Amino acid sequence: MPEVKEYTTPHKPTWCPGCGNFGMWEALKRALSQLDLDFNEYSMVWGIGCHGNGADFLKTQGFHALHGRALPVASALSLTRPDLKVIVEMGDGDGYGLGMGHFIHSVRRNIDMTCIAHNNQIYGLTTGQASPTTEHLMRTVSTPGGVLEEPVNPLGLALAQGATFVARGFAGDIPHLTELYKQAIGHEGFALVDVFQPCVTWNKLNTFSWFRERVYNLEDEGHDPSDRRAAFELSLTTFHEMTCTPDECRVPIGVFYREDEVPTYNEDATGAGDPGYHKATKPRDISGLIASFG
Amino acid sequence: MAPRDPEAVEVRIKIGGPAGFGIKAAGQTLARLFTRAGYETFDLTEYPSLIKGGHNNYHLRISSEEIFSHVEPVDILVALDRDTVALHLDELTEGAAIIYDPNDFDIGEVAGVPDTACAVPAPLKEIVYEAGGIPIMRNVAALGAVLGHIGFPLDYLTRSIEQQFAHKAPEIAEQNVACASAGYEHARDHECAFPYDMQARDRDGERVLVDGNESAGLAALAAGVGLYCAYPMTPASSLLHFFAKHAEKHDIVVKHTEDEIAAMNMVVGGAFGGTRSMCATSGGGFSLMVEAFGLAGVSESAVVVGLFTRPGPATGMPTWTEQSDLRFAIHASQGEFPRVVLAPGDREDAFHLTWQAFNLADVLQTPVIILGDTYLSDNRQSVPPFDTSRVEIDRGEIITEGEVEEYARYRVTDSGVSPRAIPGLKGAEQVVNSYEHDEHGYGAQGEDTGVRIAQNEKRMRKMELARTLVPPPAYYGPDDADLSVLLFGSTKMPVREAAKWLEREGISINIMQVVTVWPFPAVEVSEFLGRARRTAIIEGNFTGQLQSLVREHCLTDVDHTLHRHDGRPFSPEQVRGFIKEVLG
Ligand SMILES: Cc1ncc(C[n+]2csc(CCOP(=O)(O)OP(=O)(O)O)c2C)c(N)n1
Ligand code: SF4
Ligand SMILES: [Mg+2]
Repeated sequence: MPEVKEYTTPHKPTWCPGCGNFGMWEALKRALSQLDLDFNEYSMVWGIGCHGNGADFLKTQGFHALHGRALPVASALSLTRPDLKVIVEMGDGDGYGLGMGHFIHSVRRNIDMTCIAHNNQIYGLTTGQASPTTEHLMRTVSTPGGVLEEPVNPLGLALAQGATFVARGFAGDIPHLTELYKQAIGHEGFALVDVFQPCVTWNKLNTFSWFRERVYNLEDEGHDPSDRRAAFELSLTTFHEMTCTPDECRVPIGVFYREDEVPTYNEDATGAGDPGYHKATKPRDISGLIASFG
Repeated sequence: MAPRDPEAVEVRIKIGGPAGFGIKAAGQTLARLFTRAGYETFDLTEYPSLIKGGHNNYHLRISSEEIFSHVEPVDILVALDRDTVALHLDELTEGAAIIYDPNDFDIGEVAGVPDTACAVPAPLKEIVYEAGGIPIMRNVAALGAVLGHIGFPLDYLTRSIEQQFAHKAPEIAEQNVACASAGYEHARDHECAFPYDMQARDRDGERVLVDGNESAGLAALAAGVGLYCAYPMTPASSLLHFFAKHAEKHDIVVKHTEDEIAAMNMVVGGAFGGTRSMCATSGGGFSLMVEAFGLAGVSESAVVVGLFTRPGPATGMPTWTEQSDLRFAIHASQGEFPRVVLAPGDREDAFHLTWQAFNLADVLQTPVIILGDTYLSDNRQSVPPFDTSRVEIDRGEIITEGEVEEYARYRVTDSGVSPRAIPGLKGAEQVVNSYEHDEHGYGAQGEDTGVRIAQNEKRMRKMELARTLVPPPAYYGPDDADLSVLLFGSTKMPVREAAKWLEREGISINIMQVVTVWPFPAVEVSEFLGRARRTAIIEGNFTGQLQSLVREHCLTDVDHTLHRHDGRPFSPEQVRGFIKEVLG
C-alpha cells in the first residue's frame, strides 16, 4: 500500500496558506492510500481553477482538462477504460457554471466515477468574482451591489436527477472527508462529494470559523441515507440568509443519499466492457458490412 | 444542356413532391435496383429542413458508363404534386416523360410544359386503393410506372420489395407488388417513346451504393474506432446513426452527447485512455468544439473530427451544401499547434482518407479533421467495394503493455513525437494537460520561458513530420492541357465529369485536387500552376478561400475563378459552361 506521502509530486502546493484545498488534498491522499490504490489504478481529471492546480501536486496518471469540461473527459475515460477508477475534481464555477450541463447529464447517466466539487462559493483563481454558489446578496468584485441570484443547489439538483450517491464534506474535517471519499470511490455509479472549501483570500463570509460554528454530522443525527425525500429536504439548507446566526443556519455534512446496485451507464452501454485500445490492434473485418451495401 | 455520351445508355429520373412522403427512400430503391442490374448510379437529394411540407426532390442518374457526378437534366419526372412540374420544367430533356396522378392536378393547366414532353398519367392513389394499401405505397406505384415507361423488367422491383418486406407481414409485400405492377401497366399503355432498349447488363465487378458518411463510417470501423461522440447536426447526423446501428456488433461506445462541447471533450478523454476516438458535426457544432479542439492540440491527443460543411454562418442552410469552412478548419482555435486537414472529394476518398486520418492522428498525436460537405455526405453513388486490404493500423509511438521507467509524457524529441504510455501502466505517471506544461505534464512549470519554448517547438516539429506523412495531391487529366483546374473536396466530382465531356469536344483540362489541405502543399501547387497554360480555381464559397491560400503560400494567383454559394453543388454543366467561356 503506498503511504500517504507517496501520493505527492515533486511540486509544492501553491495554494494560499490556510486554503481549504490543503485539507481536501490531504483527505484524498489518505483515502487513496487506505483504499490501497496504486498510481496506475486511478486516474484523476481536473477542471480549471485553484482546485485544478492540484494536478501538479497529486501523483496520478491524469488529465488537466478545460475550464468546466472535466466531466466529459472523465466520462469518456470511464466508458472506455473499465479497468481504471476515474475521479474528477472540479470547481464550483467550473462544474456548476460552465460545466452545469455536463454535471446534470453525468448525474442522470449514472456514469461510474467520483466527482469531487471544491465548493469555495467564489472564483478563486480569477480573483474573487461571484460563483454560481456564492450566497445571495454577497458583494464581490463582479457583483459590487451583491449577487442577485439564488445560489445553485448542487445536491438538490443531483438528487432531483436521480443521483445514486450524494454527499457533502467540509475541508476543515479531514478524517470525516476521508471517509466520504472512500465511500464515494467505492460506489459503483456517479458519486458526488460537494465539499465546502473555504477560500481564505476571496471569500470573507464562508470562512473556516463560519463553517465550524454551523456544520453538523448527519450520521450523528440519525439521517437515513436511503431516504431521497429527506435528503432533498436537507439539500435546501443551501439557501439561507447571509446574516444567519449559527443556530439559524446549521450546515449538514455527510452522506445525504446513497443507493447501491443501480445499473450504471457503463454496464448497459455498448462497447464499454473492454478497454478501447484493445479494439485497434488490427483492422476490423467489415467485409460483410460493406457487402450489405450492394 | 450537356452532350450525351454517344456510347452510353443514360437515364435521369427525378422524383419530386412534398416533404415527408418517403421520396428519398423510394428513389434509393430505384438506385439499388439499377445498380444491381449492372448500371452506374449517382443520386442527389434536395430537401428543405422540414419534416412535412415544402418541396423535396430526388434525382437519380443512371448510366451504362463510368460517371463522376450528378447532372442537371431530367428524362423522367415523377411529379407527386403540381409544384414539382412547375419547378423542374427547365430541366426536362426533349421527349421527357412526366409521370403524375391525373387526380392530383390537370397537367394541361400547368404553364410552360414543353410540347415535346410526354405526359404519362397514372392514377397512383386509385392503384393503392384498389390494392388495399396505405398512402405511402403510391411511391411504389410510381416506381412501377417508371420501369413501365422505360420497359425495364418489373421483377427487379418486385424482388427488391419482397426482400425488403420478407421479415414483415407478407400481405404488405403483396400490396406493394400489386401497386408496382399496376403502375407498370399504366405506363406501358401510354407508350411515350423511350430512346433505349434498357435491360440488365453485365458489368465488370461488384458495386456498393454508399454516401460519403457511410464511406467514412465504414473506414472508421475498419480502423478500429472505439468511441464515437456526436450531437446531431445535418449533414453529420447520419454518421451518428450509422455508428449507433453498428455499435453493438462492433463493440463501440457511441454517445449522443448533451452538446458538441461534450462530444469533443469526450473524444479527447477517449484518446487519453488509448482508444481511437472520433466525432463529427457541421460548422455550428464545430464552433462549439473549437476550444476542445485546441485542447487536443496542446494535450497532444489523437482525435479524428469530421467537419461536414453546410452554408453558414450560424444555422445557415441546414440541408444544403457549401465549401466555406476551409479557412475555419485550418485556423480554428486560439494559439498555434499542428493539425492535419484532409478533404475527401468522393466516396473512395472518404473511405481511404478516414482510416488514414486515424493513423495520422496516432502517429502525430494531434487532431486530424476530415473536411467534407453535404454534397458528399448525403448522396449515394455506385462504387466498387472498398479495398479493405489497404487498411493498415499504425498507432505510432503508443505503449499499451508492460511498465515504463522514468517516464515523461511530453519528452522533448527530435521528431516532436513523445512516446505515449496510456494510463493504467505501472510507472506512467503523467498529467495530460490543457495548460502549457513541462515534460511530465506539470502545468506550473509551463510558464517558464525555456519550458514553453521547448514544448511549443516540440509540438510544431510534428508539422514537419506531418508534411512527410500526409496523402499527396491527386491529379487527373493529361500533363499538358488547355486549362489547369485547382480544387479541393467534393468539387472534384462535377469537374471530373465536365472534363470527360470537354475531352469529347476537343478541349483538354487537367485537375489538381488538394487532398491534404493542411499542411498546404505549396510546392506541388506552385509546380502545377507553374507549368499550366492557363489556370482556374473552382470552389464553393464566396471569398475564394483556396485561392487565398494559393496567394499566401505560393505567392501566385490563377487566371480564372468560379464560385458558388447558393447552397447547391457545382453541376458539370455549369463547370463546362465556365470553362468554355474562359477558353473563349
Ligand atoms: C473558457 C474559459 N473561460 C474563463 C476562464 C478563466 N477562468 C479560469 S478559472 C475560472 C474560475 C475559477 O473558479 P472555480 O471554478 O470556482 O475554481 P476555483 O479557482 O475557485 O477553485 C475562470 C473564470 C477559462 N480558463 N476558460
Ligand atoms: S485564492 Fe482562495 S481558493 Fe485559491 S488558493 Fe487562495 S485561498 Fe485557495
Ligand atoms: Mg470556486
